[in-house]
Amino acid sequence: MIGALILVLAAVSLGLSLWTRRRDMPLCWEFAPVEPVDPGGAPLFETVLDHAADAGQAHSPSILVTETGFSVLWFEGSAEAQADVDLFAADIAPGPDGWQASAPGRRVTRADLGRAMEPRQMVITLGNTIEDASRTGGLLATVVSVGGWAMASVARVAMGPDGPVRARKLNLSPMLNRSVLVKSPMVAYADASHGLPAYFEMGRMHGLWVRCDAAGRVRHTVRMDGPGLKPIQPMVVPLGPRVAVALLRDFDVNRGRLLVSRTTDGGQSWSAVTQTTLYNPSSPVAALALDERRILMAANDDEGAAQDLRLLLSDDGGNSWRAIHRLSGGQGALRYPMLRRLGGGKIALCYSHSTKGGVRAHVMNRAWIEAQDT
Amino acid sequence: MTERLTSLWLGIVAGWALYWLLSGWLASAPAAGLGLGLGIAGVHVLRESRAVTGAVAVLEPVGVVLPLLVLWHMARASGLALPQLSTPVLALFLVAHVAFLAASMGVVRAEPYRAGYAPGPVAVLVLAACGIGWVAGTPLIPVVAVAGQALWARGWGSSNWFDHVLHATLVPVAAIALLLRLV
Repeated sequence: MIGALILVLAAVSLGLSLWTRRRDMPLCWEFAPVEPVDPGGAPLFETVLDHAADAGQAHSPSILVTETGFSVLWFEGSAEAQADVDLFAADIAPGPDGWQASAPGRRVTRADLGRAMEPRQMVITLGNTIEDASRTGGLLATVVSVGGWAMASVARVAMGPDGPVRARKLNLSPMLNRSVLVKSPMVAYADASHGLPAYFEMGRMHGLWVRCDAAGRVRHTVRMDGPGLKPIQPMVVPLGPRVAVALLRDFDVNRGRLLVSRTTDGGQSWSAVTQTTLYNPSSPVAALALDERRILMAANDDEGAAQDLRLLLSDDGGNSWRAIHRLSGGQGALRYPMLRRLGGGKIALCYSHSTKGGVRAHVMNRAWIEAQDT
Repeated sequence: MTERLTSLWLGIVAGWALYWLLSGWLASAPAAGLGLGLGIAGVHVLRESRAVTGAVAVLEPVGVVLPLLVLWHMARASGLALPQLSTPVLALFLVAHVAFLAASMGVVRAEPYRAGYAPGPVAVLVLAACGIGWVAGTPLIPVVAVAGQALWARGWGSSNWFDHVLHATLVPVAAIALLLRLV
């Protein structure tokens, strides 16, 4: 009787397996072409947003590219990981008198996100949030329901005019789906799908390269790890159809070096993470390709002034770097940069200033970048 | 559907806790029936409460394994002749599950959790579970594996098959069950 039941179950399983195999769409492992950034006319570098939190902290700004310009989105509250943190944003667009930013306002609350979750659940605090490039207006938010960042999950959030309308956690860990976070923007593949750089913070920390299907369900993950290191917050820069470099933060502040990993098969595998010679005070970096060899990076790479953020250029795919511009932190650190390409050869840069006390955003173009490199 | 299934799964697990309380006054079968009814209804009524939304936040993705184990246990306690997992199989499961979680946390280079996203590896894993059930003489393992595969294939709940058939809370549950048998 038991044997017969198990045979029936095995037959059902075979049927299910055939069905899922037939429906399965193989993932594309070829990055979208790297389009060179246009010079963009006369050199331009403009500060378009300078927000200071009234009290507490405003940190981890990210850039959401929109039809008219871009939005900067960050988390703000009494302190990070506290139960009063919500997501704030300002919309920035070019106007007749230059770039104009809307007044910063609350964009996503914990309560609204909890109600939008499928299944509905409590959200205690919010963290690093990036644009979900696979759908218009979507977000990928770091959410915490219990504990601190090591207990965080990544939620894919569909936004409506008044806030989140639907959200679902990505399934990335068997530890109650905990301890995975995001920081850096998604990367486009040739078939218009995307790769998501994420990282795991519980136990042995490591980076993760995540692939989702068209419905936003996780299909594949690849670990980015290196012996003796704690590589997190990967920033992935494609340099060709199959080639990309990942720049990672070492969670161990004592080692003080930026980390690197590379792929030559479109992200199916990543080389062992190793240290670069660049100083890094355990803080994430932002980077983007200006063309197939040249990379622009924003990083805290000056050991003598770790609070400053510098713009650096590499002409050899990230092997060597030279600083071209310094953004001075003054008394407070500039941290958590993000760089995104806008239309018309423009590039947006944002970061938190005053040691998580506010967020700032600039718009620049390639002509200005080239002018700094003299 | 994920919302409805999660509420149902949570209601069954809550019903099991109520069954334990009620079995002090009632026979097993009525305690199980009443506990399940109250648990499912209670989660439905209190779905927006902090207690239930907090429980969902902590336990999600619940998967099929917890509710099926609970139902299996209550059915056995109510007199149905269902085989239980043998002590060696329970011990093996505990060791394998701990190793699986450790590997998934990066303790070793292997990434077993990754296999749960892809149809090919899942097909092999479910058939292997059927084989283990055959050898162990219990349909519980194949039932959990195939039910999890059905939900995973349909796209309800987690996109990883392991989340349907395993749950981190099973580690302490299995450890306590094993201790009770050995003591």
